[in-house]
Amino acid sequence: MRKRLSQLFLDWLACTYGVVLLHRIVWLEVISARPLPFAWAGSGSATILTTVPDWVLYAIVGAVGASIAGFTGASLVALLRGELAPNSWQRRIALHVGSLLLSLTFVTGWIVTKISLTDMFSSERLRAAGRIFSSLLTPEFSILPQAIAAIIETVYLAFMATALALPASFVLSFLAARNLMREHQWTRLLYTLLRIVTNFTRSIEPLVWAVIFTVWVKVGPFPGMLALMVHTISSLVKQYSEQIEDIDPGPMEAIASTGARPLQVVWFGVVPQIVIPFLSFTIYRWDINVRMATIIGLVGGGGIGTMLNQYQMLAQWHEVGLIVLVIALVVWVMDYVSARIREALL
Amino acid sequence: MALLEINALSKVYPNGTQALRSVSFTVERGEFLAVIGLSGSGKSTLLRCINRLIEPTSGSIVFDGADVTHIKGDALRRYRQQIGMIFQQFNLIGRYSVLQNVLMGALGSVTTLDSILGRYRPELHTMALRNLEIVGIADKAHVRADSLSGGQQQRVAIARALMQEPKLLLADEPVASLDPATSHGVMRYLGYINRQLGCTIICNLHFLSLVREYASRVIALKYGQIVFEGSPAEITDDWFRHIYGDEAVEVEIR
Repeated sequence: MRKRLSQLFLDWLACTYGVVLLHRIVWLEVISARPLPFAWAGSGSATILTTVPDWVLYAIVGAVGASIAGFTGASLVALLRGELAPNSWQRRIALHVGSLLLSLTFVTGWIVTKISLTDMFSSERLRAAGRIFSSLLTPEFSILPQAIAAIIETVYLAFMATALALPASFVLSFLAARNLMREHQWTRLLYTLLRIVTNFTRSIEPLVWAVIFTVWVKVGPFPGMLALMVHTISSLVKQYSEQIEDIDPGPMEAIASTGARPLQVVWFGVVPQIVIPFLSFTIYRWDINVRMATIIGLVGGGGIGTMLNQYQMLAQWHEVGLIVLVIALVVWVMDYVSARIREALL
Repeated sequence: MALLEINALSKVYPNGTQALRSVSFTVERGEFLAVIGLSGSGKSTLLRCINRLIEPTSGSIVFDGADVTHIKGDALRRYRQQIGMIFQQFNLIGRYSVLQNVLMGALGSVTTLDSILGRYRPELHTMALRNLEIVGIADKAHVRADSLSGGQQQRVAIARALMQEPKLLLADEPVASLDPATSHGVMRYLGYINRQLGCTIICNLHFLSLVREYASRVIALKYGQIVFEGSPAEITDDWFRHIYGDEAVEVEIR
């Protein structure tokens, strides 16, 4: 029953989505050539029921589509679940509907992103491109000392964010591992809360965190470090706790059967199985953090990113070229070193 | 007084599987009790209910005259310290040395901080080495546990269990992942511990030939119920078919 309802709901979403695209893009944009952007509220719809808002009509047509799919069995969701018999007419119709939705999505994407080949390849635009590329390719080496100082700041910023996030993530990951927390209702509650919080903080990009922290503490490497640290904690907690959920429960059982205390069971039954993957994740995170730290600098998070931002705003493209070169070099070295270390660990 | 009394023990898993249906039996001191039955007949669940790694749904467990069915916390840990357990997959900590693995058997009598810092009392070290001698691998004390063969790992697991100076040893399919020759090696050490050290043993086994050679008494489980209880010699062909189904053919391990 629940499965039927969820299928109906998903089919309804798919049908509504299709109807919206058909009306907005194909009818209004292509056939009647009315320009975007999407004016959702108050737009006069081309139907008889002009008093009803468009979205209600979309939902109703979508519901009709979903019911038809439900009655005939030619459902998109059933197709994706692999429940439709091969060569049945339901499967063929569902396939057609699916490919229609995909092509509509592609066409919409093309229109919404305003893709234009003339904007890219007209002779005027090509001259501008030539200007920037030639500047970038002839970097200004006189600012190399400042660039090196800035990238050192960035690497250490990334290192501190990782190092400070490590102990917090380590402790929290055990509390966010389902297999360790499911026994009692209080630990289960803690687990759920922690999962919600980390999922939420992780879904906020480090760039946004950086903006928040530049307001909180002053502009500079410190807010950048804080931003990366918050994001690192929530990412590492997820990776760590998934690793803990994957362990072989056997050793835990064996340690518990000796009459050991819960902390001993975790220390001897769980920790030896996860140290190496944890180290590997952490080093990889540092590598990612170095890249992110350069981006975070763009919004005032310090290091090479801030320097890049300054020269870019002054349109000093030769200097920008040098900074990009330094960043590329350091990211490549970090990438190589972290890959080698992780290889050696495994 | 019997060492262990199991009364009307039942276990229903959250998914509805009834693993044990009102199982009752007693184990006397010094016995070597074999538990036989098909995979899924409830043998592993039974063993894990005895040391409460799995909580039974109903029934009672009386160990050494005390009801242990519902004890918690420190009482449960003190109870578990009296019962050693070995497993089909040995369950050693592969990254640690053999000696460290054996010392883990004494975790219940070492404080959490001391155990994390590796501070075990000197007499525990002596005892660990003696137990490794009992199972014949004292020379491997300082190699990593995962570098040993399966049979050697199971002997380390036995030494680890001996650190608890157990009154009862639970063995869950101890030889099911070993080859025939190694199986006899491990079973002989269990036999030695049973007779020479006076440790009572409950052992889940697949092979009847091993049961006949090492066990003093047998119970057979089928769909979570006891369908046979007696001496190994009493398992006739008819009983064998009853326990394992008509299709079964006995395979011997020599």
